Amino acid sequence: MSSSWGLLAITLVCVVTVGVGALGLRLSRTTSDFYVAGRTVTAGWNASAISGEYLSAASFLGVAGIVYSLGTDMLWLPVGYTLGYLVLLVLVAAPLRRSGAYTIPDFAEARLQSRQIRSVASLLVIGIGWLYLLPQFQGAGLALQTVTGAHPAVGNLVVAVVVLASVAAGGMRSITLVQAMQYWIKLVAIAVPVFVLLWIWLRQGQPLPAISSPNGPFTGPGVGYAAREHPVYATYSTLLALCFGTMGLPHVLVRFYTNPDGRAARRTTAIVIGLIGLFYLFPPIIAMLARTYLPALPPGTRADSIVLMLPGAMVPGTLGDLLSAILAAGAFAAFLSTASGLTVSVAGVIDQDLFSGRLNRRSGGDLPRTHSFRLASAVAILVPYAASWFWANVTLADTVGMAFAVAASTLSPVLVLGVWWRRLSVTGAMAGLAVGGALAIGATVATVAGWAGSTGRGWAGTLLAQPAAWTMPIAFATTVIVSLATPASVPKNAARILVRLHAPEEVAGRHTDA
Amino acid sequence: MSGPNDISEERAARYLEVQNSQEFAALRKKFRGFVFPMTGAFLAWYFLYVVLATYATDFMSQKLFGNITVGLVLGLLQFVTTFAITMYYARWADRELDPAAEKLAEHMERGTLQ
Repeated sequence: MSSSWGLLAITLVCVVTVGVGALGLRLSRTTSDFYVAGRTVTAGWNASAISGEYLSAASFLGVAGIVYSLGTDMLWLPVGYTLGYLVLLVLVAAPLRRSGAYTIPDFAEARLQSRQIRSVASLLVIGIGWLYLLPQFQGAGLALQTVTGAHPAVGNLVVAVVVLASVAAGGMRSITLVQAMQYWIKLVAIAVPVFVLLWIWLRQGQPLPAISSPNGPFTGPGVGYAAREHPVYATYSTLLALCFGTMGLPHVLVRFYTNPDGRAARRTTAIVIGLIGLFYLFPPIIAMLARTYLPALPPGTRADSIVLMLPGAMVPGTLGDLLSAILAAGAFAAFLSTASGLTVSVAGVIDQDLFSGRLNRRSGGDLPRTHSFRLASAVAILVPYAASWFWANVTLADTVGMAFAVAASTLSPVLVLGVWWRRLSVTGAMAGLAVGGALAIGATVATVAGWAGSTGRGWAGTLLAQPAAWTMPIAFATTVIVSLATPASVPKNAARILVRLHAPEEVAGRHTDA
Repeated sequence: MSGPNDISEERAARYLEVQNSQEFAALRKKFRGFVFPMTGAFLAWYFLYVVLATYATDFMSQKLFGNITVGLVLGLLQFVTTFAITMYYARWADRELDPAAEKLAEHMERGTLQ
């Protein structure tokens, strides 16, 4: 495809992102604005922002690639990404909003009355955030390379600079605007090309896309999940990590604190699931059209790139180039929005727990907090940016999967049991975090270092590459058993805190700040 | 920022009163009685799809019309059901949970907790 259209489209997305960020700066004047957008974001805006943040490049490019190569039975994967929000909604959304905390560490400390739990939760949030940021940089590098032929390092740098500029400028309020806008950019950028291509397909009278693979009918994850060994186990483990990991992702939960009340939190989630589900209808259509027009990929081409290649294959010439450029812009918006959301959350935790937390608690000052938040944003983005140079050969999808698995095995037990179980003890929560964290992070390190993998290493390799199915139950069990064994370390006011979490705003929130 | 730990003694006593009231117990029971079975049911439905795709491949690749297979229809239905379940839950919470919660709040204000 012609690189000038693509370059123009990507530049436009970057300029608009920084521009809207700067607009947000003028509206963002207080600490509360910086962290949770003053808690005044409406459900519709907030839902657009959550969806914009959540749909990363893995969704924009990866889902179409997976359905293209493995068949429609792989539809469980995008459904799994949506499902995490449903679990989050019914199990923890409204109680977490009522807790009055800004971040996951805030909640952990408030619920368990323990500084140590807070510190461990903070380290986990930062670690999971960085693990998720890493593939965003690498993906952006690859996408820019596909579109313009630029060295992958250029794409990394562009994303780092644009995200830092928009995050440091306006904090959460400006990011909410940017994210919300980016959802609609992504939806339009995938929907318009799909409708145009469908219309062309109808006019050309091409055969109905064959929804079966060359090797016979599509037979689903049991046969083909990325050609892994023990695909059934890998499928279940991934689905479990998606279900329970979403609530532990730092950039997902912080958004629920920006709802004005629990009812708004519910409404927001319902809209999010609608918006995300709507988006996920389009990648499978691209995959099916690609089956007709791109029956075989040129050797050395990743299935992830079919989204960018399909328009050229269907309508060579300017129209094809233009459609590819729109799709490329959408993919870039996906990198930017996910990376911005993660950076804000990680920066918030670094700022509160490493920089200004204690100082701010004493002074209550607004201005110094804003400065230290900017410094924290720089740290939050520079570490994974530097790491993306050294771990250039880690598979993108695997890194994202690991972030979900670590979240499901550490923060998820503390959140679910913290909301629902009065007898959760400090020692129990700490034991669960330590055991789940050690196992899941150990498996991640083993996989990243190449000691384990999903092919050629038998059961041990598979168990380490897809750890959630065993690390998450072990983490939950450890938390429960140790809690039951140490009733003395159950916080004294646990009953009172649970009332606050489960009683409606009218009871619990009447006298609190907004 | 206010956490649950910096509330006054008077409010603490109120919370305990709420915690011990039958009304609050009923409210929590109502919430759990709806949420836990529903979570179990929808997780079972999603995992069933993976089981079918894995072990019932003949059934899943049966053609309904044209190239549309059972697997494709069930896959799309998963999206639809996710949204339907969400809407159902949100409606239920608006209709059943919130009025009960508001009544509780009212009784608490007036000091007529049951």
